[in-house]
Amino acid sequence: MTNPTPCYHCGLPAPSGGRFQIQVLGATREMCCPGCQAVAEAIISGGLEHYYTHRSESAANPQSLPQALPDELALYDRSDVQQPFVEHDGELSETCLLIEGISCAACGWLIEKHLRGIPGVSEAHLNLSNHRLQVRWADSQLPLSSLIKALRKIGYAAHPWQADAAAEQLQRENRRAMRELGVAGMLWMQVMMATMATWPEFNIDLSPELDKILRWVSLFLTTPIVFYCCGQFFRGALRDLRTRHLTMDVSVSLAIGGAYIAGIWSTISGQGELYFDAVGMFALFLLAGRYLERRARERTAAATAQLVNLLPASCLRLDAQGQSQRILLSELHVGDQVLVPPGALLPADGRIVQGQSSVDESLLTGEYLPLARNPGDAVTAGTLNVDGPLTVEVQALGDATRLSAIVRLLERAQNDKPRLAVLADQVAQWFLLIVLVVAALVGLVWWQLDPSRAFWIVLALLVATCPCALALATPTALTAATGSLHKLGMLLTRGHVLEGLNQIDTLVLDKTGTLTEGRLTLSAIHPLRELDADSCLALAAALENRSEHPIARAFGQAPEAAEQVDSHPGLGLQGRVGERLLRIGQADFVCVLSAHAVPAITGEHGQWLLLGDEHGPLAWFVLDDRLRDDAPQLIAMAKTKGWQIMLLSGDSSPMVAEVARQLGIDDARGGLTPDAKLTELKRLHSQGRRVLMLGDGVNDVPVLAAADISVAMGSATDLAKTSADAVLLSNRLSSLVQALHMAQRTRRVIIENLAWASLYNGLVLPFAAIGWITPIWAALGMSVSSLLVVLNALRLTRP
Amino acid sequence: MPALYILIPVAIALVGFAIWLFFWAVDSGQYDDLDGPAHSILFDDEDPKHKAAVTQVQQQDAEKEPQVPPRA
Repeated sequence: MTNPTPCYHCGLPAPSGGRFQIQVLGATREMCCPGCQAVAEAIISGGLEHYYTHRSESAANPQSLPQALPDELALYDRSDVQQPFVEHDGELSETCLLIEGISCAACGWLIEKHLRGIPGVSEAHLNLSNHRLQVRWADSQLPLSSLIKALRKIGYAAHPWQADAAAEQLQRENRRAMRELGVAGMLWMQVMMATMATWPEFNIDLSPELDKILRWVSLFLTTPIVFYCCGQFFRGALRDLRTRHLTMDVSVSLAIGGAYIAGIWSTISGQGELYFDAVGMFALFLLAGRYLERRARERTAAATAQLVNLLPASCLRLDAQGQSQRILLSELHVGDQVLVPPGALLPADGRIVQGQSSVDESLLTGEYLPLARNPGDAVTAGTLNVDGPLTVEVQALGDATRLSAIVRLLERAQNDKPRLAVLADQVAQWFLLIVLVVAALVGLVWWQLDPSRAFWIVLALLVATCPCALALATPTALTAATGSLHKLGMLLTRGHVLEGLNQIDTLVLDKTGTLTEGRLTLSAIHPLRELDADSCLALAAALENRSEHPIARAFGQAPEAAEQVDSHPGLGLQGRVGERLLRIGQADFVCVLSAHAVPAITGEHGQWLLLGDEHGPLAWFVLDDRLRDDAPQLIAMAKTKGWQIMLLSGDSSPMVAEVARQLGIDDARGGLTPDAKLTELKRLHSQGRRVLMLGDGVNDVPVLAAADISVAMGSATDLAKTSADAVLLSNRLSSLVQALHMAQRTRRVIIENLAWASLYNGLVLPFAAIGWITPIWAALGMSVSSLLVVLNALRLTRP
Repeated sequence: MPALYILIPVAIALVGFAIWLFFWAVDSGQYDDLDGPAHSILFDDEDPKHKAAVTQVQQQDAEKEPQVPPRA
């Protein structure tokens, strides 16, 4: 096969033959699908062609965005629906929309420019960190639904967004962290000026009154640093002391508290050295380290994990006359009848009243093939109707659905998550013990020699050995590594992942969507007559391109177009390509056309579709869920590390054993409920195992939440992504292998940093003990050792 | 040296003002997006093609003006 040209808009492979072309930036560009073509046309007709010169990443494929139905959008124009998220201010309305499909900074430019060009929009501002669009517009000129459609036209999906409690708290915390950092920075500079003037090295002609004034000024300015900015260290220390742990927070609090109290004493008594500048510097460095670490994680996490859309926002209710009306999900009641068109998610648990279809339950159960459903069968909220329209009588809604039961299991599982040991805290514990013992010894010795100096020497010792570099060792390394991993396509949403990956000894995998692609792809073509496989595929693709069915995508783009295509739900498609009348789908349905007998199926796995014309069957197409190309690589790596590998799948078909055989996994179990998966995980925990869980479906969610470290695929359900500790945005298992290498490098850098920081503190200890350390040496040592730690951590930003 | 007696209070007042200004900036959300502004400055806002397209849309809209669109 020749290498296909990538689509100019989204980067996916474009079909050969130039079916979708468009002039961009003075050259003809190939597009992969009509969707990309339409988006590119809309961008160019808006005069925003420069998007293509500005962008640094390919755009998202418009088909990968969630579907938006026109009548569902129209619901957003109802004032009772708008009420919670739109604010009215005279003529203008203001709302916040969450945008999907943003891939780089140029997207922000494109969205803002495009909206500002629309009459009626007065202001549009996109926050690139959390992908929220703040927009002010005149409601009378432009309904909200048109605004959302305008965004859709240039390739972005928008959802009304309302801050929930967690998002508001996150924003408050972020702003508080920023304020603490800013206050510490600004005050420290002032404190440094005032304090340094009193040091013997700089104190040339300071009068005693001015010396006193400067001491009081430094005390005055340091107080907010200690009480406002360092509150989190003291609170952390108190919490850890209560649980009888000596952690980094305890060590930090002791240094800051000690230097501050000594400073007060020195200010009041007017003698001895001031260490206020050390307090400020220490606070600023630590707060900066923690702020950066926090931002590296949250910036990216916020964008992926905000929407937990397991159920559709609206549904079609049937009234007594059988007329359908689109209503909000919240307006649906038990006993109502809803119409579920093919390709739509089921809004509630219920029973099929009318219609025949197959339902894709893969996200809920792990079954990889859609299952046939007939009138009288039960269906579950959150599953996908594949073939034909279904009329469903609602039996359970909201909290009563099977889906909610899994979500509740998730909440229980989160409490069981074990805490992994943090390297820095272990070091801090020893460090603190040693420093305290040495300080006590030095104090005792000096008390015998020269009682007047004993206090100042012990203080200088405590400040000089202040664990600044030690406390920065971990956050700086984690920040740098988190950034590099993001570039590799792995997003860390919780802090313990990188350090924890080194302690893992068991790998638990899900099958559907994790080890496999999670969607049907064409695995084989068996021609039955004179036409070869490629021509059969071309004919089949021509038919399937006219279908919205999820299976249709497996056939790729057709070089020619079919005409008069009719869809027969549950059976297949009929259409004309050139002179030929063709059918594709169920074998019986296809064979009726030619009155031939159904040819024999020669294999077991997958879904077999027949293509035939008026003269008989042409070819079998076998669709199957394919293994991901990099799955063997992951398993091989896990084996070299000596991990125990387990495959836990909800799928009860023989596919589980087949996948396990192909990958060489000995321990594979199928047909597990979410509850059973969780029980299995608890059994592993009770054996003292450290588990890395990799999954994607709703049925994996409880296990993802309870595992020591959990990773969700980028294509996973929203709920799985929010409950996992990391997300493989690239959807490549090889990113996880790279993450493991990165975790090892990070661990090495953390150890180097800790070793260097301890070495520095060890070296300075004897000098402090004999009383040679003055504040200037303490300040110099602290900044140089911290700088070295930061520079060492920066090595992790290089791949 | 006597200058210090004035300069020290002035410095403290200035820091107080700077902190007040900083708090105001943080609370009004200016530090919420630390990525966007860094990029947006690089993009060309005065692209003649875009301006032409915007004018065109506005003209089309002005022509349509007599029929007031129905309020949602």
